[in-house]
Amino acid sequence: MSVAVEAPPAANGASSSSPQYPDQYYYVDQILDRPGPRTDEAFSAGDPVKSFLREQCKILVIGAGGLGCEILANLALMGFKDIHVIDMDTIDISNLNRQFLFRPKDVGQPKATVAAEFIMKRVPGVKVTPYYGKIQDKDDDYYMQFNIVICGLDSVEARRWINATLVNLVDPENPESLKPLIDGGTEGFKGQSRVIFPTISSCYECSLDMLNKPTAFPICTIANTPRLPEHCIEWASVLEWPKVHADKKMDTDDPEHISWLYKVASKRAKEFKIEGVTWQLTQGVVKNIIPAIASTNAIIAASCCNEAFKIATTAAPFLNNYWMLIGTDGVYSYTFEHEKKSDCPVCGGETMDVEVGKGWTIERLIEWLTENQKIQIKKPSLSLGTKPIYFQAPPQLEESTRPNLEKKVHELIPEGGEVTVTASTLPFTLTLRLAFV
Amino acid sequence: MKESQDIESATVQLSPVLETTGLPGLPDSKERRYDRQLRLWAASGQSALESAHILVLGASPTSTSILKNLVLPGIGAFTILDDGVVEGKDLGANFFLETDSLGKNKAEEAIKHLGELNDSVAAHAETRALESILDDDPTYLHKFSLIIAENIPQRILERVTALLWDSSTGAGDGDADADASQTVAPPLIVVRTSGFLADFGIQLKEHSIITTHSDSAASLRIDKPFPSLLAHAFSLNFDKMDVTDHGHIPFVVILVRVLQEWKNDHAGKAPSTYAEKQEFKQRIVKMKKKDDEENFDEAVAQAYKAWTNTIVPSEIEALFNDPSTKNLTANSDPFYHLVHALQIYTSQPPHTLPLSATLPDMKSDTKSYIHLQRLYKEQAAEDKARFTDILRGIEAGAAGAGGGGSVALGMVDDFVKNAHALRLIRGKKWTGLTDDVEALTLAREMAPAAVATHLSLSALYAFEGKNGRLPKPGDGADREEMTAWVKARLTATGWAPEPEPEDSAMTGADEEEEEPMPKEITLWEHVTNAVGEVSRAPAAELPTTAALMGGMVAQEVIKVITKQYIPIDGVCAVDLASSTTGTVKV
Amino acid sequence: MIKIWSMKKTEEAAAKKKPKTSAAQIRVQKDLTELELPSTMKTTFADPSDILNFTLTITPDEGMYKGGCFDFSFAINTNYPHEPPKVKCIPKVYHPNLDLEGNVCLNILREDWKPVLNLTSVMVGLQYLFLEPNPDDPLNKEAAEDLRRDRDAFTQNVTRTMKGGSLRGTTFDNVFKR
Repeated sequence: MSVAVEAPPAANGASSSSPQYPDQYYYVDQILDRPGPRTDEAFSAGDPVKSFLREQCKILVIGAGGLGCEILANLALMGFKDIHVIDMDTIDISNLNRQFLFRPKDVGQPKATVAAEFIMKRVPGVKVTPYYGKIQDKDDDYYMQFNIVICGLDSVEARRWINATLVNLVDPENPESLKPLIDGGTEGFKGQSRVIFPTISSCYECSLDMLNKPTAFPICTIANTPRLPEHCIEWASVLEWPKVHADKKMDTDDPEHISWLYKVASKRAKEFKIEGVTWQLTQGVVKNIIPAIASTNAIIAASCCNEAFKIATTAAPFLNNYWMLIGTDGVYSYTFEHEKKSDCPVCGGETMDVEVGKGWTIERLIEWLTENQKIQIKKPSLSLGTKPIYFQAPPQLEESTRPNLEKKVHELIPEGGEVTVTASTLPFTLTLRLAFV
Repeated sequence: MKESQDIESATVQLSPVLETTGLPGLPDSKERRYDRQLRLWAASGQSALESAHILVLGASPTSTSILKNLVLPGIGAFTILDDGVVEGKDLGANFFLETDSLGKNKAEEAIKHLGELNDSVAAHAETRALESILDDDPTYLHKFSLIIAENIPQRILERVTALLWDSSTGAGDGDADADASQTVAPPLIVVRTSGFLADFGIQLKEHSIITTHSDSAASLRIDKPFPSLLAHAFSLNFDKMDVTDHGHIPFVVILVRVLQEWKNDHAGKAPSTYAEKQEFKQRIVKMKKKDDEENFDEAVAQAYKAWTNTIVPSEIEALFNDPSTKNLTANSDPFYHLVHALQIYTSQPPHTLPLSATLPDMKSDTKSYIHLQRLYKEQAAEDKARFTDILRGIEAGAAGAGGGGSVALGMVDDFVKNAHALRLIRGKKWTGLTDDVEALTLAREMAPAAVATHLSLSALYAFEGKNGRLPKPGDGADREEMTAWVKARLTATGWAPEPEPEDSAMTGADEEEEEPMPKEITLWEHVTNAVGEVSRAPAAELPTTAALMGGMVAQEVIKVITKQYIPIDGVCAVDLASSTTGTVKV
Repeated sequence: MIKIWSMKKTEEAAAKKKPKTSAAQIRVQKDLTELELPSTMKTTFADPSDILNFTLTITPDEGMYKGGCFDFSFAINTNYPHEPPKVKCIPKVYHPNLDLEGNVCLNILREDWKPVLNLTSVMVGLQYLFLEPNPDDPLNKEAAEDLRRDRDAFTQNVTRTMKGGSLRGTTFDNVFKR
């Protein structure tokens, strides 16, 4: 409001959470200086909460694209001062209609680096540490350093990876190992944000079946009975490209590759009297382009950051646990709790602590499993990470892992090692955490 | 300068692959920059955006967030009106001000940092005070395409809403001066924020939308096949076809044929009872030559189309009776000319909307599908020609009466294509729900949380209007005053606080349901929460709230300016403490 | 910071910590170890420690393709089962639903894939192609045309091409060589 307001009571004494210039956090402080009607009792108004937010809290932003740029700006203004950002992409001209930290001169530069520099220049006192690379480059120790992780990604695969990584990170002995994961996504005028407490609430994997499945056309339609321009484009990319270019991989970011597909698809369309093949449609189909606009990204990023702020400060209850927005017909949003799936391969299943005798062989361990009344398991198969320990089938793998049966457990599995057990009698997966006695 | 040159040099690359193909080359720099949004609103939406000039009252964090989301997609021009000077608290919450801005004019500083987001957008600062413009230069506001007012004190806001509403003569008024040329004042979006809470609404006289991007598909006219479709369905000899061809007959053809045969056996009637519908589906199943003929499975799945009567939808019918259609003048918006033409069109046989040329994909071989597609396209072209004749007739009549030109062909195309999903929104003067007892009564039942948020923000404005100051953060007495204000508004609608549980159980006379509704938050609890939140930080411009409103309001601006998709009809209330939103009709 | 550890059911929930195995990996382990393949199908792993890449050999014991050994490469990515496995037929085979590049026309490998399906469904589907070649939605149009026009002639073509014979200028791979 453009009306003078009485200053809120001055904070008691300045600390290093104090601003870079007077009143930097004037508005945010009004929220942090006193609880609201729905604020949790654990909220410690004033300096304690401010000092946690501004001196201790370390937050990771995954993705510096459409959502990422917005997330970084919001976090900086809300008072998060130690922000890290990962992105493996470089800036493309088609990013500029929404990724507002980038300018035409930045095209070709790494997103993470340019975004970090921009934020630090614009918001004094904030440190943004960029990493130009893949999330998979980083190990558990890296992810362990953060209090909260926010994702603004456009890939299902990357989301599944970080989700599984954060679920795996949870150590029941160490409260710090549980990292709230906030995930946002948009498509056109629609979007969603959600809060995941790994192992406690529904995780990304639990809701995998809510995703729209990727559009795929029958390959025989593509080959023989094309009816739509898309069928002609798929013919060019799925069937003709490998035939003509043999081992040369198609690069959907290379305009000449798109042009080639466009040319081939146009020819086929003409042959079949199909209308509507364009360069843009070709690019859209082969890159699976999802429409994206600044305003929707702003909404979803703001929602994600609002939840991060509430989790970090307890200033208000956080989202439990899914918020979806549809802006095509008025403004419709729906807040609901997505249920955790008990048979989720990432956060579901059971974990058992097993005390393994010094002399136990793998065979003995399997015997112990099948005799255990509590789990009622038949014909279990065991692996450690990606390495099979003993597989009941198929024959070749059974044969190649059979020699392991006679080996001592400790020769194959380290202390505290976690063994994945599957069996047809188990609807979920079982994890054994081994201790040698 | 430098930047735009870079875009150019990055684009003018020709495609060697496309040389000599006669195909158009690569998209140009603008198409590439806007690619992800053109896939939503196409070139027509983009050109509407580029012709718009938006005025924003106040360079608040919310205002600059809204503008950011309009500058990026390439709005034509924007103006920020603010006579204030940048203070620490402003730049701390506003990404488009920086330390250097301290002490300078807010509007001038903000446009500098917003303008650099997109070279093709014209950025203007207006440093006069809003009140002096209202006093001395009120027509100033009329030159904009749309105006956004965020957190403007009630007293001034009322002047703005009145100025824009009262000077605007929407055709919907249908009054005596309907013949006079109309002044349509720009739509106004009123945005209010306080800490975690916010709301907004659009003041507009009327807004017609042709390209609604509706999910509902136009009728395929299975039940009322046009002559060439019917002839085609009976020109095929299903029995003599080989298995492959039989497995690729488009389901539309199967349905048209089976329905016609059914009607021949049933005195011209389509299946109506459950048993008949099952029997109809069985007929289709029995026609299969092989078990796995997907086209016949599609026909069974779509069989309901055979007994879905293709008529003019009631919402479209309602447009025919709209005052603006009834009182059509030469100067009426082209939309109403089109609606009127549609009314005449549908009054003639076969009493349907013009056929849509769009045929969905279906199991079929290329030849059969393309043939069927051609039948639809030809009939659609014929229908459009008949529609256009009617329209031109109306226009000629209007021209005789001294009226203006003709509706552009592109608009006719869009109209015919979307005739099944047209929308018209009629607005009201912005007052919120405060004085509208009827709307408030309904809304408090339908969306109590949204009503609580909205009324609490209104209470804040009323408080400021009455006391000339904002409530003191966390102050009990000020909170009580706002609570009492909300209670008075609700009481005016006949609402009373929910009785104590024992009371309601004892009296039983209450018409309220006796069943306990466990944990359902009552309206009054919502109000207590919302007023409590407003009282906690009455003037806090929380950056996340500003950013979220920035996105929502920008979506609405885009929808209003492009006349695509459907803007909100009412007030949208946002509560970021509970992570919920709700819309209430006003 | 919210006291996550004091959230309800924490102890129980936190005990469910999972191993460092990807969801795709676990699913493939489950799918593979529960495979019950008939004698006509066999899997071969080039590297037994890499269970995401393997070969399936189908040796039909009835139908026109009886006796041939048809190898299919399976490549499963980390987005399994959100995405289907990528399957290619390795030898060049004369078949209405296989093209000369090894593409396979099987609905569950593309448009009808869903995460509840598994490797068994795919393998059974592949085997069915050899028992019941479908000429109505072909990938190899000529083969389909042959089958539609004259089943016996088609069968002869199959027998000839399976031995490495040529047909209309295309030389097919001998699938009897083992």
